[in-house]
Amino acid sequence: MKETRPARPDHGAYVRKVQEDTQSFAQGLIGEVERLRVQVAALESEKAALAAQAREIETMVRANDALRAQIEGIKAETQAYSSRYAAVEQQNSNLANLYVASYRLHGTLDRSEVIAAIREIIANLVGSEEAALFEIDSDTKTLELVDAFGVDRDQCRSIPLGNGLIGLTARTGEILVVDPSQASGATGLESRLTACVPLKLDDTVTGVIAIFGLLPQKGGIEDLDRELFDLLATQAAFALYCTGLHAKVALEIERRW
Amino acid sequence: MGKKKILVVDDSRTALFMVTTILRKERYELVTASDGEQALEMAASERPDLILMDVIMPRKTGFEACRELKRREDTRAIPVILVTTRGEGENVEAGFQSGCNDYVTKPINALELLTKVREHMGAR
Repeated sequence: MKETRPARPDHGAYVRKVQEDTQSFAQGLIGEVERLRVQVAALESEKAALAAQAREIETMVRANDALRAQIEGIKAETQAYSSRYAAVEQQNSNLANLYVASYRLHGTLDRSEVIAAIREIIANLVGSEEAALFEIDSDTKTLELVDAFGVDRDQCRSIPLGNGLIGLTARTGEILVVDPSQASGATGLESRLTACVPLKLDDTVTGVIAIFGLLPQKGGIEDLDRELFDLLATQAAFALYCTGLHAKVALEIERRW
Repeated sequence: MGKKKILVVDDSRTALFMVTTILRKERYELVTASDGEQALEMAASERPDLILMDVIMPRKTGFEACRELKRREDTRAIPVILVTTRGEGENVEAGFQSGCNDYVTKPINALELLTKVREHMGAR
């Protein structure tokens, strides 16, 4: 009887199978690695693009900041120009006031016209409807009233030199602006005095303009008013003096002819 | 486009000269009148784009002239700015009752005047 041996397992097939599986697995892995490599490359490229974009954004942010700073600078510059423009306009306006006052005072040789011009300058440029104009009478050493508006003439027809604030202004030859926050100690009409302007020819006082109450909307004496007072002090005195001279000359000519 | 025309009305030569000096540099064409009656005549003949008028004047006050201007068909649309010495409520109210469009107070502030003139000129 022939002895049958049990069938030996086919190791070769198994090994082949393992080899094939391993190969297939390895192929799969290689494919996967390749796919991942491509993906990594794509991500790297995307990362580089994003980094470039980030740099671009950073540049834009910096440019934006610079522009913002520039705009702020321009705003500040515009503001400065606006202020400067307003200041120049104000200065023009002030000069216009002085020009008008000077033009009006010297636009005539008629005494009554000069007096009317002084009245109008006080009303329209200074802003007061209460004022008096005095001239010095050197014989009596008094200030004699020449013109007044908005005040009682009887209260100030004649003022001795050195008497009260008006008389004192005639003596000192200095423009007096009353500080409303301090008591001046003045009485009567002078208690409402705002300013006193001496009329001066060279250094000689020839008269005084007394300005009493200001218009309600006029807060107080401003820098421009002080310039107007300076102008009135010399130009009004000179204009009045010229009218006097002109009248004398006219009279002399009339007398001779 | 031609220059815009302003009629300036004031009996004070100083005030008139002051206002025209301020406005002239703005290149407006200026015509002047010295009282309310003359202002009415000139408003009709000159047809200004704006009237700047003092309140206290002989013959006809600024209030009276303004009322008349606003009553007339041919001058009703012309803006009127009154120049007043008194800026208190009562006086301002009387001005607006007369039909004025705006007002400025004395002493005239050039910047304020120019701003108001430009504002009312711009509307036409």
